[in-house]
Amino acid sequence: MWRLFDNRRLLSLFLGVALVWSLASVDWGSAAVHSGGGGTLREFVLAAFPPELSPAFLRVGLAAAWQTTTFAVAAITIAVVVGLPLGALASGQVVSSSSRGRALAVGARLFLAVIRSVHELVWAVLFVAAFGFSSLAAILAIAIPYAGILGRIYGERLADAPDEPLRALRASGASPVAVLAYGRIPMALPDLLSYTFYRFECAIRAAAIMSFVGIRGLGFEIQLSLQELLFSQVWTLMLFLVGLVVLVDLWSSKVRRSLAA
Amino acid sequence: MRGTLGPKGSLVVARDIRKSYAEVQALAPMSLNVACGERVALAGPSGSGKTTLLYLLAGIVQPDEGQVVIDGQSLSGLRPGEELAQLVSVMHQQFDLVPNLPVVHNVLAGRLGRWSLMRSVLSLVWPQERRLAEDTLTQLGIGGKLQERTSRLSGGEQQRVALARLLVQSSLIVLADEPVSSLDPARADDVLKLLTDLTETSGKTLVASLHSPDLIRRYFSRVIGLRDGLVQFDLPVAEMSDSVLQRLYQLDNGKGRVASVEAV
Repeated sequence: MWRLFDNRRLLSLFLGVALVWSLASVDWGSAAVHSGGGGTLREFVLAAFPPELSPAFLRVGLAAAWQTTTFAVAAITIAVVVGLPLGALASGQVVSSSSRGRALAVGARLFLAVIRSVHELVWAVLFVAAFGFSSLAAILAIAIPYAGILGRIYGERLADAPDEPLRALRASGASPVAVLAYGRIPMALPDLLSYTFYRFECAIRAAAIMSFVGIRGLGFEIQLSLQELLFSQVWTLMLFLVGLVVLVDLWSSKVRRSLAA
Repeated sequence: MRGTLGPKGSLVVARDIRKSYAEVQALAPMSLNVACGERVALAGPSGSGKTTLLYLLAGIVQPDEGQVVIDGQSLSGLRPGEELAQLVSVMHQQFDLVPNLPVVHNVLAGRLGRWSLMRSVLSLVWPQERRLAEDTLTQLGIGGKLQERTSRLSGGEQQRVALARLLVQSSLIVLADEPVSSLDPARADDVLKLLTDLTETSGKTLVASLHSPDLIRRYFSRVIGLRDGLVQFDLPVAEMSDSVLQRLYQLDNGKGRVASVEAV
Protein backbone atom coordinates (compact mmCIF):
# COMPACT_ATOMS: atom_id res chain seq x y z
CA MET A 1 0.00 0.00 0.00
CA TRP A 2 1.37 3.41 -0.99
CA ARG A 3 1.58 5.87 1.82
CA LEU A 4 2.55 9.52 1.62
CA PHE A 5 4.71 9.39 4.74
CA ASP A 6 6.33 6.03 5.30
CA ASN A 7 9.53 5.87 7.31
CA ARG A 8 11.87 6.08 4.34
CA ARG A 9 10.16 9.09 2.83
CA LEU A 10 10.14 10.83 6.19
CA LEU A 11 13.84 10.20 6.66
CA SER A 12 14.69 11.43 3.15
CA LEU A 13 12.61 14.53 3.71
CA PHE A 14 14.30 15.16 7.04
CA LEU A 15 17.79 14.76 5.55
CA GLY A 16 16.90 17.01 2.63
CA VAL A 17 15.64 19.75 4.92
CA ALA A 18 18.74 19.43 7.09
CA LEU A 19 20.98 19.82 4.02
CA VAL A 20 19.21 22.92 2.76
CA TRP A 21 19.16 24.40 6.23
CA SER A 22 22.89 23.80 6.76
CA LEU A 23 23.79 25.29 3.37
CA ALA A 24 21.63 28.32 4.10
CA SER A 25 23.26 28.85 7.47
CA VAL A 26 26.79 29.16 6.00
CA ASP A 27 27.91 32.75 5.61
CA TRP A 28 28.97 32.76 1.95
CA GLY A 29 30.33 36.32 2.17
CA SER A 30 33.95 37.39 2.32
CA ALA A 31 34.48 35.89 5.76
CA ALA A 32 34.49 32.34 4.38
CA VAL A 33 38.06 32.82 3.15
CA HIS A 34 40.66 34.56 5.32
CA SER A 35 41.61 37.94 3.90
CA GLY A 36 45.30 37.05 3.69
CA GLY A 37 44.43 33.45 2.82
CA GLY A 38 45.35 33.61 -0.85
CA GLY A 39 48.87 34.77 -0.10
CA THR A 40 49.40 32.18 2.61
CA LEU A 41 48.12 29.43 0.36
CA ARG A 42 50.56 30.44 -2.41
CA GLU A 43 53.40 30.55 0.07
CA PHE A 44 52.45 27.13 1.38
CA VAL A 45 52.33 25.54 -2.09
CA LEU A 46 55.64 27.12 -3.14
CA ALA A 47 57.30 25.81 0.03
CA ALA A 48 56.96 22.28 -1.36
CA PHE A 49 59.71 23.06 -3.92
CA PRO A 50 61.78 21.78 -2.31
CA PRO A 51 60.68 20.59 1.11
CA GLU A 52 63.13 20.83 3.99
CA LEU A 53 65.69 18.07 3.36
CA SER A 54 68.53 18.89 5.71
CA PRO A 55 69.88 15.75 7.46
CA ALA A 56 69.14 17.23 10.86
CA PHE A 57 65.47 17.81 10.04
CA LEU A 58 65.11 14.44 8.30
CA ARG A 59 66.31 12.88 11.55
CA VAL A 60 63.59 14.78 13.40
CA GLY A 61 61.00 13.60 10.86
CA LEU A 62 62.22 10.02 11.01
CA ALA A 63 62.06 9.94 14.81
CA ALA A 64 58.55 11.40 14.75
CA ALA A 65 57.44 8.95 12.06
CA TRP A 66 58.87 6.08 14.11
CA GLN A 67 56.99 7.21 17.18
CA THR A 68 53.73 7.54 15.26
CA THR A 69 54.27 4.08 13.75
CA THR A 70 54.88 2.47 17.13
CA PHE A 71 51.67 4.00 18.48
CA ALA A 72 49.73 2.72 15.49
CA VAL A 73 51.27 -0.79 15.62
CA ALA A 74 50.65 -1.14 19.36
CA ALA A 75 47.11 0.21 19.05
CA ILE A 76 46.09 -2.00 16.13
CA THR A 77 47.60 -5.05 17.83
CA ILE A 78 45.54 -4.46 20.95
CA ALA A 79 42.49 -3.73 18.80
CA VAL A 80 42.84 -7.06 16.95
CA VAL A 81 43.44 -9.05 20.13
CA VAL A 82 40.39 -7.50 21.80
CA GLY A 83 38.22 -7.14 18.69
CA LEU A 84 38.51 -10.68 17.34
CA PRO A 85 37.07 -12.56 20.34
CA LEU A 86 34.46 -9.87 20.92
CA GLY A 87 33.53 -9.91 17.24
CA ALA A 88 33.28 -13.69 17.27
CA LEU A 89 31.04 -13.46 20.32
CA ALA A 90 28.95 -10.71 18.74
CA SER A 91 28.49 -12.76 15.57
CA GLY A 92 26.36 -15.11 17.68
CA GLN A 93 28.08 -18.11 16.09
CA VAL A 94 30.20 -19.35 18.98
CA VAL A 95 27.55 -19.32 21.67
CA SER A 96 24.56 -21.61 21.97
CA SER A 97 21.22 -20.28 20.80
CA SER A 98 19.89 -20.46 24.34
CA SER A 99 18.68 -17.23 25.92
CA ARG A 100 21.96 -16.95 27.83
CA GLY A 101 23.95 -17.33 24.61
CA ARG A 102 21.86 -14.72 22.87
CA ALA A 103 22.27 -12.35 25.78
CA LEU A 104 26.05 -12.79 25.55
CA ALA A 105 26.01 -11.99 21.84
CA VAL A 106 23.81 -8.94 22.32
CA GLY A 107 26.00 -7.82 25.22
CA ALA A 108 29.14 -8.10 23.10
CA ARG A 109 27.50 -6.18 20.25
CA LEU A 110 26.40 -3.46 22.63
CA PHE A 111 29.84 -3.21 24.21
CA LEU A 112 31.48 -2.89 20.77
CA ALA A 113 28.98 -0.18 19.84
CA VAL A 114 29.70 1.77 23.00
CA ILE A 115 33.50 1.74 22.68
CA ARG A 116 33.47 2.68 19.01
CA SER A 117 30.89 5.44 19.36
CA VAL A 118 33.45 7.60 21.17
CA HIS A 119 36.08 9.11 18.86
CA GLU A 120 39.77 8.39 19.49
CA LEU A 121 40.45 12.06 20.22
CA VAL A 122 37.85 12.07 22.97
CA TRP A 123 39.39 8.94 24.44
CA ALA A 124 42.76 10.70 24.14
CA VAL A 125 41.53 13.68 26.15
CA LEU A 126 40.32 11.27 28.84
CA PHE A 127 43.55 9.27 28.94
CA VAL A 128 45.79 12.31 28.89
CA ALA A 129 43.88 13.50 31.91
CA ALA A 130 44.46 10.12 33.53
CA PHE A 131 48.01 9.20 32.44
CA GLY A 132 49.51 12.50 31.27
CA PHE A 133 51.17 12.91 27.85
CA SER A 134 52.36 9.31 27.76
CA SER A 135 52.56 6.75 24.96
CA LEU A 136 50.03 4.68 26.88
CA ALA A 137 47.43 7.42 26.57
CA ALA A 138 47.88 7.59 22.78
CA ILE A 139 47.88 3.83 22.31
CA LEU A 140 44.79 3.17 24.41
CA ALA A 141 42.95 6.12 22.88
CA ILE A 142 43.31 4.51 19.43
CA ALA A 143 43.08 0.86 20.49
CA ILE A 144 39.71 1.16 22.25
CA PRO A 145 37.52 2.61 19.46
CA TYR A 146 39.40 0.54 16.88
CA ALA A 147 38.66 -2.64 18.83
CA GLY A 148 34.99 -1.66 18.56
CA ILE A 149 35.23 -1.04 14.83
CA LEU A 150 37.25 -4.20 14.08
CA GLY A 151 35.00 -6.30 16.31
CA ARG A 152 31.94 -5.18 14.44
CA ILE A 153 33.37 -5.89 11.00
CA TYR A 154 34.95 -9.19 12.15
CA GLY A 155 31.63 -10.29 13.56
CA GLU A 156 29.85 -9.67 10.27
CA ARG A 157 32.52 -11.38 8.17
CA LEU A 158 32.64 -14.40 10.47
CA ALA A 159 28.87 -14.76 10.40
CA ASP A 160 28.83 -14.59 6.59
CA ALA A 161 31.19 -17.54 6.00
CA PRO A 162 29.80 -20.12 3.52
CA ASP A 163 27.71 -22.66 5.36
CA GLU A 164 28.46 -26.03 3.71
CA PRO A 165 32.04 -26.48 4.97
CA LEU A 166 30.91 -25.37 8.42
CA ARG A 167 28.16 -27.98 8.43
CA ALA A 168 30.71 -30.61 7.53
CA LEU A 169 32.93 -29.50 10.42
CA ARG A 170 30.03 -29.64 12.85
CA ALA A 171 29.12 -33.08 11.54
CA SER A 172 32.63 -34.32 12.31
CA GLY A 173 32.10 -33.25 15.89
CA ALA A 174 33.72 -29.82 16.02
CA SER A 175 32.57 -27.51 18.82
CA PRO A 176 31.48 -23.97 17.88
CA VAL A 177 34.90 -22.57 18.79
CA ALA A 178 36.63 -25.27 16.74
CA VAL A 179 34.30 -24.45 13.83
CA LEU A 180 35.44 -20.84 14.25
CA ALA A 181 39.12 -21.81 14.17
CA TYR A 182 38.90 -24.38 11.36
CA GLY A 183 36.17 -22.85 9.23
CA ARG A 184 34.98 -19.33 9.83
CA ILE A 185 38.34 -17.64 10.43
CA PRO A 186 40.25 -19.34 7.58
CA MET A 187 37.44 -18.68 5.11
CA ALA A 188 37.05 -15.04 6.17
CA LEU A 189 40.79 -14.45 6.52
CA PRO A 190 41.39 -12.52 3.27
CA ASP A 191 38.56 -10.11 4.17
CA LEU A 192 39.65 -9.83 7.78
CA LEU A 193 43.26 -9.08 6.83
CA SER A 194 42.35 -6.59 4.15
CA TYR A 195 40.11 -4.67 6.53
CA THR A 196 42.68 -4.81 9.33
CA PHE A 197 45.34 -3.34 7.05
CA TYR A 198 42.97 -0.56 6.06
CA ARG A 199 42.34 0.13 9.74
CA PHE A 200 46.11 0.10 10.34
CA GLU A 201 46.41 2.97 7.84
CA CYS A 202 43.67 4.78 9.70
CA ALA A 203 45.50 4.12 12.97
CA ILE A 204 48.61 5.82 11.56
CA ARG A 205 46.58 8.89 10.70
CA ALA A 206 44.93 8.79 14.11
CA ALA A 207 48.31 8.45 15.83
CA ALA A 208 49.57 11.46 13.88
CA ILE A 209 46.77 13.72 15.11
CA MET A 210 47.30 12.74 18.73
CA SER A 211 49.28 16.01 18.75
CA PHE A 212 45.94 17.78 19.22
CA VAL A 213 46.00 16.62 22.81
CA GLY A 214 49.75 17.21 23.15
CA ILE A 215 51.15 13.75 22.46
CA ARG A 216 54.34 13.65 20.38
CA GLY A 217 54.67 12.20 16.89
CA LEU A 218 54.43 13.36 13.28
CA GLY A 219 51.39 15.52 13.96
CA PHE A 220 53.13 17.22 16.86
CA GLU A 221 56.09 18.18 14.64
CA ILE A 222 53.72 19.39 11.91
CA GLN A 223 52.01 21.58 14.44
CA LEU A 224 55.31 23.05 15.67
CA SER A 225 56.49 23.83 12.13
CA LEU A 226 53.10 25.33 11.22
CA GLN A 227 53.17 27.60 14.23
CA GLU A 228 56.50 28.99 13.04
CA LEU A 229 55.23 29.15 9.43
CA LEU A 230 58.03 26.83 8.28
CA PHE A 231 55.96 25.35 5.45
CA SER A 232 58.82 23.48 3.78
CA GLN A 233 59.22 21.52 7.02
CA VAL A 234 55.50 20.82 7.07
CA TRP A 235 55.81 19.33 3.57
CA THR A 236 58.66 17.07 4.64
CA LEU A 237 56.64 15.77 7.57
CA MET A 238 53.56 15.23 5.42
CA LEU A 239 55.70 13.27 2.97
CA PHE A 240 56.75 11.04 5.85
CA LEU A 241 53.09 10.48 6.66
CA VAL A 242 52.26 9.65 3.04
CA GLY A 243 55.29 7.36 2.96
CA LEU A 244 54.02 5.42 5.98
CA VAL A 245 50.59 4.93 4.47
CA VAL A 246 52.07 3.85 1.12
CA LEU A 247 54.32 1.34 2.91
CA VAL A 248 51.35 -0.17 4.73
CA ASP A 249 49.46 -0.35 1.45
CA LEU A 250 52.34 -2.17 -0.25
CA TRP A 251 52.65 -4.58 2.66
CA SER A 252 48.90 -5.19 2.62
CA SER A 253 48.75 -6.03 -1.08
CA LYS A 254 51.79 -8.29 -0.72
CA VAL A 255 50.14 -10.24 2.08
CA ARG A 256 46.86 -10.48 0.18
CA ARG A 257 48.63 -11.70 -2.95
CA SER A 258 50.37 -14.43 -1.01
CA LEU A 259 47.00 -15.49 0.42
CA ALA A 260 45.31 -15.57 -2.95
CA ALA A 261 48.07 -17.58 -4.63
CA MET B 1 11.32 -55.35 5.97
CA ARG B 2 13.78 -58.14 6.31
CA GLY B 3 12.75 -60.16 9.28
CA THR B 4 15.97 -62.13 9.45
CA LEU B 5 17.91 -59.49 11.32
CA GLY B 6 16.56 -58.98 14.79
CA PRO B 7 17.33 -55.77 16.62
CA LYS B 8 19.99 -57.58 18.63
CA GLY B 9 22.22 -58.32 15.65
CA SER B 10 21.74 -54.90 14.14
CA LEU B 11 24.00 -51.92 14.36
CA VAL B 12 21.29 -49.53 13.16
CA VAL B 13 17.72 -49.92 14.28
CA ALA B 14 15.17 -47.43 12.98
CA ARG B 15 11.74 -48.00 14.45
CA ASP B 16 8.58 -46.55 12.86
CA ILE B 17 10.33 -43.37 11.80
CA ARG B 18 8.30 -40.80 9.91
CA LYS B 19 9.14 -37.32 8.66
CA SER B 20 7.09 -34.56 7.05
CA TYR B 21 8.10 -31.11 5.95
CA ALA B 22 5.23 -28.63 6.16
CA GLU B 23 2.40 -31.09 5.39
CA VAL B 24 4.43 -32.88 2.72
CA GLN B 25 5.29 -36.39 3.72
CA ALA B 26 8.98 -36.90 3.05
CA LEU B 27 9.14 -40.36 4.55
CA ALA B 28 6.19 -42.61 5.39
CA PRO B 29 6.45 -44.59 8.63
CA MET B 30 9.12 -47.23 8.12
CA SER B 31 11.38 -49.49 10.10
CA LEU B 32 14.86 -50.54 9.14
CA ASN B 33 17.62 -52.68 10.56
CA VAL B 34 21.16 -52.56 9.24
CA ALA B 35 23.73 -55.13 10.36
CA CYS B 36 27.33 -54.31 11.09
CA GLY B 37 29.44 -54.36 7.92
CA GLU B 38 26.51 -54.19 5.52
CA ARG B 39 26.80 -51.98 2.46
CA VAL B 40 23.35 -50.60 1.74
CA ALA B 41 22.45 -48.67 -1.40
CA LEU B 42 19.40 -46.38 -1.39
CA ALA B 43 17.85 -46.04 -4.83
CA GLY B 44 14.92 -43.96 -6.00
CA PRO B 45 14.00 -40.89 -8.03
CA SER B 46 14.57 -37.35 -6.76
CA GLY B 47 12.23 -36.49 -3.91
CA SER B 48 11.73 -40.13 -2.99
CA GLY B 49 12.99 -39.66 0.57
CA LYS B 50 16.56 -40.97 0.24
CA THR B 51 18.18 -37.87 1.63
CA THR B 52 15.60 -37.61 4.40
CA LEU B 53 16.28 -41.21 5.41
CA LEU B 54 20.04 -40.59 5.39
CA TYR B 55 19.68 -37.44 7.47
CA LEU B 56 17.44 -39.26 9.95
CA LEU B 57 20.04 -42.03 10.28
CA ALA B 58 22.74 -39.37 10.68
CA GLY B 59 20.83 -37.55 13.40
CA ILE B 60 20.97 -34.38 11.28
CA VAL B 61 17.18 -34.21 11.32
CA GLN B 62 14.94 -35.69 13.98
CA PRO B 63 11.99 -37.92 13.07
CA ASP B 64 8.46 -36.66 13.75
CA GLU B 65 7.75 -40.07 15.23
CA GLY B 66 9.77 -43.17 16.02
CA GLN B 67 13.43 -43.34 16.85
CA VAL B 68 16.81 -44.28 15.46
CA VAL B 69 19.11 -46.38 17.62
CA ILE B 70 22.72 -46.89 16.62
CA ASP B 71 24.93 -49.28 18.56
CA GLY B 72 22.39 -49.25 21.36
CA GLN B 73 22.27 -45.45 21.65
CA SER B 74 19.22 -43.46 20.66
CA LEU B 75 20.20 -40.56 18.39
CA SER B 76 17.64 -38.22 19.94
CA GLY B 77 19.47 -38.43 23.25
CA LEU B 78 22.91 -37.66 21.85
CA ARG B 79 24.46 -34.26 21.69
CA PRO B 80 25.26 -33.34 18.11
CA GLY B 81 28.98 -33.08 17.65
CA GLU B 82 31.30 -35.21 19.68
CA GLU B 83 29.14 -38.20 20.62
CA LEU B 84 27.28 -38.39 17.34
CA ALA B 85 30.49 -37.98 15.34
CA GLN B 86 31.86 -41.24 16.72
CA LEU B 87 28.81 -43.15 15.55
CA VAL B 88 28.05 -41.58 12.21
CA SER B 89 29.94 -39.65 9.55
CA VAL B 90 28.35 -38.13 6.50
CA MET B 91 29.76 -37.57 3.04
CA HIS B 92 27.96 -34.88 1.07
CA GLN B 93 27.58 -34.29 -2.64
CA GLN B 94 29.97 -31.38 -2.46
CA PHE B 95 33.27 -31.98 -0.75
CA ASP B 96 32.60 -29.16 1.74
CA LEU B 97 36.26 -28.61 2.51
CA VAL B 98 37.64 -25.32 3.81
CA PRO B 99 39.40 -24.11 0.66
CA ASN B 100 42.15 -21.97 2.14
CA LEU B 101 43.34 -24.37 4.80
CA PRO B 102 46.24 -26.74 4.10
CA VAL B 103 45.14 -30.29 3.29
CA VAL B 104 46.42 -31.63 6.61
CA HIS B 105 43.94 -29.54 8.63
CA ASN B 106 41.02 -30.47 6.41
CA VAL B 107 41.85 -34.13 7.00
CA LEU B 108 42.40 -33.71 10.73
CA ALA B 109 39.08 -31.85 11.01
CA GLY B 110 37.68 -35.39 11.16
CA ARG B 111 39.33 -35.72 14.58
CA LEU B 112 37.77 -32.58 16.07
CA GLY B 113 35.02 -34.58 17.75
CA ARG B 114 37.64 -36.51 19.74
CA TRP B 115 40.02 -33.68 20.53
CA SER B 116 39.77 -31.14 23.32
CA LEU B 117 39.41 -27.55 22.21
CA MET B 118 43.00 -26.82 23.28
CA ARG B 119 44.30 -29.66 21.19
CA SER B 120 42.15 -28.63 18.21
CA VAL B 121 43.51 -25.10 18.23
CA LEU B 122 47.07 -26.24 18.92
CA SER B 123 46.83 -28.56 15.93
CA LEU B 124 46.50 -25.57 13.60
CA VAL B 125 50.08 -24.68 14.61
CA TRP B 126 51.53 -28.14 15.29
CA PRO B 127 49.38 -30.72 13.48
CA GLN B 128 48.37 -33.45 15.93
CA GLU B 129 48.17 -37.06 14.79
CA ARG B 130 49.98 -35.99 11.65
CA ARG B 131 50.97 -39.57 10.90
CA LEU B 132 47.32 -40.62 10.77
CA ALA B 133 46.56 -37.89 8.23
CA GLU B 134 49.64 -38.76 6.20
CA ASP B 135 48.93 -42.51 6.20
CA THR B 136 45.31 -42.01 5.22
CA LEU B 137 46.22 -39.71 2.35
CA THR B 138 48.90 -42.17 1.21
CA GLN B 139 46.27 -44.93 1.19
CA LEU B 140 44.22 -42.70 -1.07
CA GLY B 141 47.20 -42.02 -3.33
CA ILE B 142 47.80 -38.35 -2.49
CA GLY B 143 50.30 -38.65 0.36
CA GLY B 144 52.47 -35.87 -1.02
CA LYS B 145 49.77 -33.21 -0.79
CA LEU B 146 49.74 -32.91 3.00
CA GLN B 147 50.94 -29.30 3.20
CA GLU B 148 49.29 -27.96 0.05
CA ARG B 149 46.51 -25.47 0.19
CA THR B 150 43.31 -27.40 -0.42
CA SER B 151 41.96 -25.00 -3.06
CA ARG B 152 45.00 -25.77 -5.27
CA LEU B 153 44.07 -29.43 -5.57
CA SER B 154 42.11 -30.82 -8.50
CA GLY B 155 38.49 -31.87 -8.03
CA GLY B 156 39.46 -35.54 -7.81
CA GLU B 157 42.14 -34.84 -5.24
CA GLN B 158 39.73 -32.77 -3.16
CA GLN B 159 37.30 -35.66 -3.22
CA ARG B 160 40.04 -37.82 -1.73
CA VAL B 161 40.75 -35.25 0.95
CA ALA B 162 37.05 -35.31 1.90
CA LEU B 163 37.24 -39.10 1.95
CA ALA B 164 40.33 -38.95 4.16
CA ARG B 165 38.53 -36.67 6.61
CA LEU B 166 35.66 -39.17 6.71
CA LEU B 167 38.07 -42.03 7.39
CA VAL B 168 40.03 -40.38 10.22
CA GLN B 169 36.73 -39.60 11.90
CA SER B 170 36.50 -43.42 12.16
CA SER B 171 32.81 -43.59 12.99
CA LEU B 172 30.95 -46.90 13.03
CA ILE B 173 28.77 -45.94 10.08
CA VAL B 174 29.48 -43.95 6.95
CA LEU B 175 26.51 -42.29 5.26
CA ALA B 176 26.95 -40.87 1.78
CA ASP B 177 24.40 -38.69 0.01
CA GLU B 178 24.84 -39.28 -3.73
CA PRO B 179 28.62 -39.34 -3.37
CA VAL B 180 29.26 -39.83 -7.08
CA SER B 181 26.38 -38.03 -8.77
CA SER B 182 28.56 -35.18 -10.04
CA LEU B 183 31.40 -37.40 -11.28
CA ASP B 184 32.14 -38.96 -14.63
CA PRO B 185 31.67 -42.77 -14.75
CA ALA B 186 35.36 -43.63 -14.38
CA ARG B 187 35.88 -41.40 -11.38
CA ALA B 188 32.56 -42.47 -9.86
CA ASP B 189 33.75 -46.06 -10.02
CA ASP B 190 37.10 -45.07 -8.53
CA VAL B 191 35.56 -43.17 -5.60
CA LEU B 192 33.08 -45.94 -4.79
CA LYS B 193 35.88 -48.48 -4.92
CA LEU B 194 37.91 -46.46 -2.43
CA LEU B 195 34.87 -45.87 -0.23
CA THR B 196 33.81 -49.52 -0.14
CA ASP B 197 37.36 -50.90 0.16
CA LEU B 198 38.21 -48.64 3.06
CA THR B 199 34.95 -49.14 4.91
CA GLU B 200 35.26 -52.88 4.37
CA THR B 201 38.83 -53.19 5.66
CA SER B 202 37.97 -51.18 8.76
CA GLY B 203 34.72 -53.10 9.32
CA LYS B 204 32.50 -50.06 8.91
CA THR B 205 28.92 -50.03 7.72
CA LEU B 206 28.06 -48.01 4.64
CA VAL B 207 24.73 -46.53 3.59
CA ALA B 208 24.78 -44.51 0.37
CA SER B 209 22.23 -43.14 -2.06
CA LEU B 210 22.97 -43.57 -5.75
CA HIS B 211 21.25 -44.28 -9.05
CA SER B 212 23.51 -46.44 -11.18
CA PRO B 213 22.42 -50.12 -11.21
CA ASP B 214 25.94 -51.13 -12.27
CA LEU B 215 27.58 -49.42 -9.34
CA ILE B 216 24.97 -50.78 -6.93
CA ARG B 217 25.64 -54.31 -8.18
CA ARG B 218 29.40 -53.92 -8.05
CA TYR B 219 29.86 -52.33 -4.65
CA PHE B 220 26.84 -52.95 -2.43
CA SER B 221 25.34 -55.93 -0.65
CA ARG B 222 21.79 -54.71 -0.19
CA VAL B 223 19.51 -52.29 -2.01
CA ILE B 224 16.48 -50.37 -0.73
CA GLY B 225 14.15 -48.77 -3.27
CA LEU B 226 12.28 -45.65 -2.19
CA ARG B 227 9.56 -43.76 -3.97
CA ASP B 228 7.31 -40.96 -2.70
CA GLY B 229 8.57 -41.60 0.81
CA LEU B 230 7.58 -45.27 0.69
CA VAL B 231 9.86 -48.30 0.70
CA GLN B 232 9.20 -50.17 -2.57
CA PHE B 233 11.63 -53.02 -2.05
CA ASP B 234 14.46 -54.10 0.21
CA LEU B 235 16.56 -56.83 -1.38
CA PRO B 236 19.97 -58.42 -1.37
CA VAL B 237 21.68 -57.00 -4.44
CA ALA B 238 21.88 -60.47 -6.01
CA GLU B 239 18.07 -60.53 -6.18
CA MET B 240 17.74 -57.07 -7.70
CA SER B 241 16.40 -57.34 -11.26
CA ASP B 242 16.54 -54.63 -13.90
CA SER B 243 12.76 -54.47 -14.09
CA VAL B 244 12.47 -53.73 -10.37
CA LEU B 245 14.75 -50.73 -10.78
CA GLN B 246 13.06 -49.58 -13.98
CA ARG B 247 9.70 -49.58 -12.27
CA LEU B 248 11.20 -47.52 -9.42
CA TYR B 249 12.31 -44.77 -11.75
CA GLN B 250 9.24 -44.65 -14.01
CA LEU B 251 7.81 -41.15 -14.10
CA ASP B 252 4.37 -42.38 -13.06
CA ASN B 253 2.36 -45.58 -13.03
CA GLY B 254 -0.35 -45.56 -15.68
CA LYS B 255 -0.75 -42.16 -17.29
CA GLY B 256 2.79 -41.11 -16.50
CA ARG B 257 4.11 -44.02 -18.49
CA VAL B 258 2.61 -42.58 -21.67
CA ALA B 259 3.99 -39.17 -20.74
CA SER B 260 7.46 -40.58 -20.29
CA VAL B 261 7.39 -42.30 -23.65
CA GLU B 262 6.28 -39.08 -25.30
CA ALA B 263 9.00 -37.18 -23.53
CA VAL B 264 11.59 -39.48 -25.10
